[in-house]
Amino acid sequence: MRVKAQVAMVMNLDKCIGCHTCTVTCKQTWTNRPGTEYVYFNNVETKPGVGYPRRYEDQEQWKGGWALDRKGRLQLRSGSRLRRLLSIFYNPDLPTIDDYGDPWTYDYQVLINAPAGTPNPSAHSISALTGQDMHMNWGSNWDDDLAGGPAHAAGDPDLAGLEDQVKLAFEQVFMFYLPRICEHCLNPSCVASCPSGAMYKREEDGIVLVDQDRCRGWRFCVSGCPYKKVYFNHRTGKAEKCTLCFRRIEAGQPTICSETCVGRLRYLGLFLYDADAVLPAAATRDPQQLYRAQLSVFLDPDDPAVADAAARQGIPADWIAAARRSPVYALAVRHQVALPLHPEYRTLPMVWYIPPLSPVADVVHATGYDQADPDRVFAAIDALRIPVEYLANLFTAGDADTVRAVLRKLAAVRAMMRAAQLGLDPGGDLPASVGASESDLEDLYRLLAIAKYDDRYVIPPAHTEDAGRLMAQHEQLFCSLETDGGPGMGGAGPPAASVESFHPDGQPADTHLFRGDDGRVHFNLLGWDGHGTTPHLFPDGGTS
Amino acid sequence: MLRLFRGGPVIWMSPQDADRIGVSDNDWIEAYNRNGVVACRAVVSHRMPPGTVYMYHAKDRHLMTPKSEVSGWHGGSDNSLTRLVVKPTHMIGGYGQFSFAFNYYGPTGHQRDEITVIRRRSQQVEY
Repeated sequence: MRVKAQVAMVMNLDKCIGCHTCTVTCKQTWTNRPGTEYVYFNNVETKPGVGYPRRYEDQEQWKGGWALDRKGRLQLRSGSRLRRLLSIFYNPDLPTIDDYGDPWTYDYQVLINAPAGTPNPSAHSISALTGQDMHMNWGSNWDDDLAGGPAHAAGDPDLAGLEDQVKLAFEQVFMFYLPRICEHCLNPSCVASCPSGAMYKREEDGIVLVDQDRCRGWRFCVSGCPYKKVYFNHRTGKAEKCTLCFRRIEAGQPTICSETCVGRLRYLGLFLYDADAVLPAAATRDPQQLYRAQLSVFLDPDDPAVADAAARQGIPADWIAAARRSPVYALAVRHQVALPLHPEYRTLPMVWYIPPLSPVADVVHATGYDQADPDRVFAAIDALRIPVEYLANLFTAGDADTVRAVLRKLAAVRAMMRAAQLGLDPGGDLPASVGASESDLEDLYRLLAIAKYDDRYVIPPAHTEDAGRLMAQHEQLFCSLETDGGPGMGGAGPPAASVESFHPDGQPADTHLFRGDDGRVHFNLLGWDGHGTTPHLFPDGGTS
Repeated sequence: MLRLFRGGPVIWMSPQDADRIGVSDNDWIEAYNRNGVVACRAVVSHRMPPGTVYMYHAKDRHLMTPKSEVSGWHGGSDNSLTRLVVKPTHMIGGYGQFSFAFNYYGPTGHQRDEITVIRRRSQQVEY
């Protein structure tokens, strides 16, 4: 048993309102630079929809992730090492800018230079890449809220096989939002695809990063990632990806997307897992068993044997304690209500999703729970507007029973709490009917409904003894984000000062403030913990 | 933010209505009545019931509003179609929903029935 720790995320899709605040703050912090105009480390898709980039889930086309060869061994779907070597100067499986959407801006000069008296001058779209006039016909979120549904949503690869069930018609309309970041997989195919050895998965917390010094821009990571969450910076000629805001994680803070999430639907915490079990789990033959196989990799942090092994292998005591409190472990493993996105890609993704129940809520409320007929609460689940089979194509490689079990458990939480609110007897059988105890359902209620900041984000800070090595990493491997404009508000980027004042073992002291080239104090979202001053972020009071 | 949808004003309509006036998703259209005109693009979606169109989050009038074929001027925003006419309750004052300002887009919404025409326009737009 080789115990390792992994920082992972759970998103509760019931709560996502599709506001894109995560996208905007992530973009402002990390990719607000020339070369990354089209890049969204975090994006929010409408499902059913084709996603970003277009139809990225269709691995027949893009050849991302892993597949089993004839002998049942794991092999990159893009083929053998030799095939990749032969195609190194021409990789046929790359999305083009039209698949991502040519990012546009506007010809604002028309407005600024309009002579006095011009009635309502109007700026039009130009390409942010070339500056040429452009007619917008695709973007990173073009099919938001089912816009262009008949033309676009029908192309969703997850609808394959459901053509008879799902009619894209007003009376049967359904949709939900799917926020996506890098999955920081346990078995990352991007890392395995890189010919230069520039991509790596960090030992201490499992975050997958690109070493900017070693990246040679071959872009095999872009095609190798089945989630298409590695991007090519056309200015630096190197790959970039979601860093899980590792500098914030090291300081014990949640990622920017989690920090700013309006619906509070994101959870961050630790998994302890057995690194020796990862490859056998990924090579499970039946794709529908991959979810179970993935669960079997995780170790129970409450098990003294696991804690001993972890301590022996250098995992600090406070990390083991944090793993015990991890909301991610509770939701994904203990209660099994969170599911991985597309386990059939065999990368063992570490961003998990609680499938949405919302459209059935009224039916559940109207029906209530009847002790004499426990199936009445759950009858509604099969009448769900979002077909269970569609969710199964997303989260369990098509195994509808697993999704049904999750939805039943979520419905049982609501039925139990509704009974408690109204002073009714929920019936002793209710928890058992979903394979849980009453305290399990109460714990789920606590996690899903009332969890506070400290319950949702249980992130142990990095250790002082590692600080030297981590800081060296920041300086040498800082994901190119200190060059060429740097991250954060399009300014000069986080200054050296924020690295100097980095305190992995405690609260950083005002790391979000720095003095710019203009001599004024500026504010950077990257280090912000929600407290303290925020110069220039909000307008000064007094005028409106 | 504008990159996170269609980058300009749109009117949502059902596939049935779009078929009837020969419009496909992302075509340029014009909506006009005796108050004014909107030139924008169409979003065709099965989320809309037939017979209803929908315009929301009208963006800055100075972005992506080409010259309209009806007036020759830059086609305006949703407010150009929903001109407000004073009614006595507006004069009461003192409450948000009972207040009046010229062409004010307030919580009382549209004030009266108005017949509006939507049609496909030339796809060559000028600004």
